[in-house]
Amino acid sequence: MRSGSGWRLLAPALLLLAVAFVAPVGLMVPTSVRPYVPLVGITGGFTARHYTRLLTDSYYLEIIGRTLVLGLTVTGATLLLGYPVAFFLARTRSRWRNWLTILVVFPLMLNLVVRTFGWIALLAQNGLVNQALQAMGLVDGPVKLLFNFAGLLIGLTHIFLPFMVLVLIGAIQNIPRDVEDAARVLGASWGGAFLRVTLPLSAPGILSGSILVFVLTISALVTPRLLGGPTYQVMSTLIYDEFLQRLNWPAGSAQSLLLTAMVLALIYVSGRLARRTGASA
Amino acid sequence: MSGAAPALRVRRLRKAFGPVVAVDDVSLDAAPGEFVALLGPSGCGKSTLLRMVAGLVEPDGGEIVLAGEDITRVAVHRRNLGLVFQSYALFPHMTVFENVAFGLRRRGVGPPELGPRVERMLELVRLGPLGARYPRELSGGQQQRVALARALVTEPRVLLLDEPLSNLDALLRDEMRVELKRLQERLGITMIFVTHDQAEALVLSDRVVVMEAGRVEQIGRPEEVYRRPATAFVARFLGRANFLAGTVAESGPTGIVVALDGDRFQVVAVPRSGLGAGQRVHAVIRQEAIRLEAAEGAAQRPNNFAATVVFHAFAGQAHHYVIQLADGRELEVATPGAAAPLARGAHTHVAWSPDDVILLPAGPATSGDAW
Repeated sequence: MRSGSGWRLLAPALLLLAVAFVAPVGLMVPTSVRPYVPLVGITGGFTARHYTRLLTDSYYLEIIGRTLVLGLTVTGATLLLGYPVAFFLARTRSRWRNWLTILVVFPLMLNLVVRTFGWIALLAQNGLVNQALQAMGLVDGPVKLLFNFAGLLIGLTHIFLPFMVLVLIGAIQNIPRDVEDAARVLGASWGGAFLRVTLPLSAPGILSGSILVFVLTISALVTPRLLGGPTYQVMSTLIYDEFLQRLNWPAGSAQSLLLTAMVLALIYVSGRLARRTGASA
Repeated sequence: MSGAAPALRVRRLRKAFGPVVAVDDVSLDAAPGEFVALLGPSGCGKSTLLRMVAGLVEPDGGEIVLAGEDITRVAVHRRNLGLVFQSYALFPHMTVFENVAFGLRRRGVGPPELGPRVERMLELVRLGPLGARYPRELSGGQQQRVALARALVTEPRVLLLDEPLSNLDALLRDEMRVELKRLQERLGITMIFVTHDQAEALVLSDRVVVMEAGRVEQIGRPEEVYRRPATAFVARFLGRANFLAGTVAESGPTGIVVALDGDRFQVVAVPRSGLGAGQRVHAVIRQEAIRLEAAEGAAQRPNNFAATVVFHAFAGQAHHYVIQLADGRELEVATPGAAAPLARGAHTHVAWSPDDVILLPAGPATSGDAW
């Protein structure tokens, strides 16, 4: 390929990125250092107050921590639930395979709000889940599954599971069957061959699926808002409230920039990780 | 097959994938240290047979006995066999050293012994200094050697090879053939080698098992299957040959005379039992068994016909001709490359010895007792 033709192929995507991502984020930088006076609005001048408050006030630190823990937990949950499904779908020769794949993707075809309201009906104090738990005698009173961490974890895991499964199917399909068979002929049990060969070779898929789900989780808005209620905040709902309820654009900008920085840092770290583990498969 | 117990014995092995019977009632033995080639076109079941021996495919019926031990239901990883894949199937996330060490580690071979054994094996396949490389940094031939070393290092009872040379280019393939044969002679290991390349099978093996549509067509030494094919399929699959349809006119102690269809020509073959007058046969003559003779004087000898050259091509070690007999019948002929070529349109004579005529019963057999 001639040097230069690569840039031309990338140009449309780069242009879109510049207009839809770099420019808005760049515009937020000056806003985030403006003082904000309640009942007056944004004033002239410079202040680092929005950042220092974000990184010192325990209220904000708790929300940041909660967002990160939620992201990691949802990623872990989708990975644990998704890997066996993806492995099955990548390896099966069943004629139902295509239908099963559609079944995995099916939740994505329903409106997000509808799905989330479905979870509210299931997880509420006297919802189906609590009724079932009590009928089975597993709990004495209703368990709180809504407007807390458990609710968000369940809802977000459900919504992002298809993304994880689809990425993993591709990665597992790329592993030649012969390589697994070779490990077995050489004396590895099924579990040994899986741990030493299949799993390491699917690492690139695990990594990209995890980045995808993590980023989607920490930036999700609708599900945390509906399942977390007005008081159980994560960063995205906090930013939403800052901009649209309190009209404190400078604070909202600072929070947005922090979230963006967290995502970029994560992508950078995982990129390094991928190179070190030799994501060659 | 001498008196020694076979290293590998396969009895009446069967495997069907849905309605397709991949391996149909196949039996064969391999003596210790023997090199056996499974030869056949793609889809003939030879790879399935090999994978059943390896334990990767479960047979529907029959048994596999390894050095006296029935392993038909033994799990793959407990069989202690070596298998070399067509794709090499190296572990891309491990170095060459780790690839070769994999089988030893699974057998609990520890550090004091592990290193030297791997190094010795890498030395044997001439990869000594490349242990720290990753498979993707090696050429096809080198990857092939890693696959071989990885399969041999555990000292398997039998080494199975599934078309191991067909991903190499022609020059390298010839080189690896020689290397493989030498390695086998040096280690004295029993090898079962799957290939669709008849030349490879003939060059490498002590015995050839020719398969077609899941069944064994013939088992024999390379000269045997080449010179005395049991069926038309074997005759066609091993080397190029001319098939002449006809009927046995005379069958006596001096020879068999076959009247070719069209009644103008007779082909004389050496005597053999089982073919009576009236039997429909194919007289099969290998292209290199046919001589081109300019002299008219030999016309009274058997199997000598006037002919015209209609096509000539030079292929280095041989001249390839298509010649036409007086009745319009065309024969393929190969003569040594050192001979002076005949031009297209040249008049000549073709001749072959009765020894070189392979007779195969054809059509409705009256006494279908082949060889």
